[in-house]
Amino acid sequence: MLRTTLIILAIFVALFVGFVIYDLKTAKRRRETYRTKSSITAYLMLLPAVILAFLFILLPILYSLGYAFTDYYLLKPNDINFIWFDNFKNFFEELKTKGTLYNAIKNTLTFVVGVVPLQIGLGLLLSLFVNRPGIGSKIFKVCFFAPVVISLSVTSFLWLQILAAGENGLLNSLLGVFGFPPHDWLRDPKTAMPCIIVLSAWQGCGYQMLIFLSGLSNIRKELYEAASLDGANIWRKFWLVTWPGLRSTFVYIIITVFIGACRILTQPMLMTGYQDHTVTLSYYMYQQGYTFRWVGQSSAVALIMTIFIGGITLIQRRIFREKK
Amino acid sequence: MDKKAIQQLPNFRPNKTPVKKTVKEVVYHVVGIVLSLIFLFPIIYMLATSTKSESSYAAGLGSLSMFLPDFANVGTMFENYKSVLVNYDIWKYALNSFLYAAIVIVLNVIVNGLAGYVMAKLRFPGKRLLSFMIIFLIVVPVETSIIPLYSIVKIMLGLKQQMTVIGVILPATISIFNIFLFTQFFEGIPKEYEEAARIDGSNTLGVFAKVIMPLSKPIIATVAVFCFIGVWNDYLWPSMILPSADDGSWPLLPIQTALMDIQKQEGITTGEIMSSLIITSIPIFVIYVAAQKYIVQGFGTAGLKM
Repeated sequence: MLRTTLIILAIFVALFVGFVIYDLKTAKRRRETYRTKSSITAYLMLLPAVILAFLFILLPILYSLGYAFTDYYLLKPNDINFIWFDNFKNFFEELKTKGTLYNAIKNTLTFVVGVVPLQIGLGLLLSLFVNRPGIGSKIFKVCFFAPVVISLSVTSFLWLQILAAGENGLLNSLLGVFGFPPHDWLRDPKTAMPCIIVLSAWQGCGYQMLIFLSGLSNIRKELYEAASLDGANIWRKFWLVTWPGLRSTFVYIIITVFIGACRILTQPMLMTGYQDHTVTLSYYMYQQGYTFRWVGQSSAVALIMTIFIGGITLIQRRIFREKK
Repeated sequence: MDKKAIQQLPNFRPNKTPVKKTVKEVVYHVVGIVLSLIFLFPIIYMLATSTKSESSYAAGLGSLSMFLPDFANVGTMFENYKSVLVNYDIWKYALNSFLYAAIVIVLNVIVNGLAGYVMAKLRFPGKRLLSFMIIFLIVVPVETSIIPLYSIVKIMLGLKQQMTVIGVILPATISIFNIFLFTQFFEGIPKEYEEAARIDGSNTLGVFAKVIMPLSKPIIATVAVFCFIGVWNDYLWPSMILPSADDGSWPLLPIQTALMDIQKQEGITTGEIMSSLIITSIPIFVIYVAAQKYIVQGFGTAGLKM
């Protein structure tokens, strides 16, 4: 491990030195002047950030890439063998036999498909609702934003009590008033993911509301006035003025919410534990790598996730850019 | 255009009558209040339950008093808070969290501020490679490398009990996005400030400390606030790195990680769980209220992440 680290370090130093020499050689052509003293000061000031970034950002990424092709077992760091694509073979094997990984992918997709439209839609509606002058709308804005302040883990524990099985849970006791029998919301495969979707949308949509609001504040008032002079009703105003004005905000939000949703881990981890009906890809990755200590297998899943998320993000950017 | 001409426009619609407007206002506020209650009901429930003993919680089940504090026993309303703070050591965990956050904020601002200053203001060979890497690391969504990070830190520190705190703090002190934020901000500071200081005989580090940093209070505050929220809310990484204390010595866990253990304690009441959740949320709530301006600024610049 130390040897690999040193090799990677050497490659990076060589790459950097190469760039430095190239920059120095072409300095005259680019009409750039470098002073030795100020360059050395610059390097020294960069040093802490570069060392930390190398150790804690770059190295983990590169190792994750590399481990994906090995049989690294966490407790045997000196016995790492390349097994090339066996991890990925296992990946598809488990998919075929509908093992935990199959459930993880299914649940993650369910979550993404459920939470992305719900959270963004709620955020947009709430922002349109509070986007007006007056003290009332300001108070409503604070109320809608309040769940964002509560961290994801606190949210999970709070909803664990709300959705608690038996008659002690808030939801069950309220439903009990209307004569419904208590339901075990989080252990029932049919209701567990929908519950997690709802609480995640509840927790997150205030944040989206705020970003949409900053987008709305950039739309010029005259456009609305011009539209009303043309006799546009509230719907036409939305489609002709608000929606085009929010496009770039919307692209930003859809990509960040999508990436965040793909990474869901906290809610199932704290609320249900490692169960087939709520396990997600990130959770599977964590469990494989940390609890079961199969870093190789875990890294392979991470690599596939990176490619998937990166690909979808690129497609989303392409789609929304072309429509401009 | 005078009034008459406007009224003759084909699509002219007269202003709504005052009565109609009032009705609209009332409807708006009623809808708003209902929506707010729907959004707040879990929080109200949490606040109300935190004041109740197990028996009065059970007594209120299924009625409106689930959302009201325990007025019948005003004297013992804060018993749960006292109990979790003292019996479950929450105050120690909270102190840990504050300590970690403080160290991370100071180091984060220094490390990333220095790097941002160099990227914004200094010329040196090899700069283009570094700016390319910054952009690359920001734009590409890299899936959690937390497992490799764990193996690196574990091997680096050997996971000795006392060293693990360093393992919690150090990875949080570097943030590529903060370097980017600092660079953006420093680029907006006019050159004249620095030149004046240089004429007075300051070196680069002196300019950074005496001129740039005092001018950069807004961005430092934004970075500090987000650092604090990040460290305070992180539970996963500390839970992997830190040992949970069971020998009676001072625990090392931060509050969010400790919450996981506290939930599982035997004999803990619903009211105590709720008070522990509220105590955990209070500092973040205070930060959001006190540093609203900087948080909104942070949201604004978050859009730059694209």
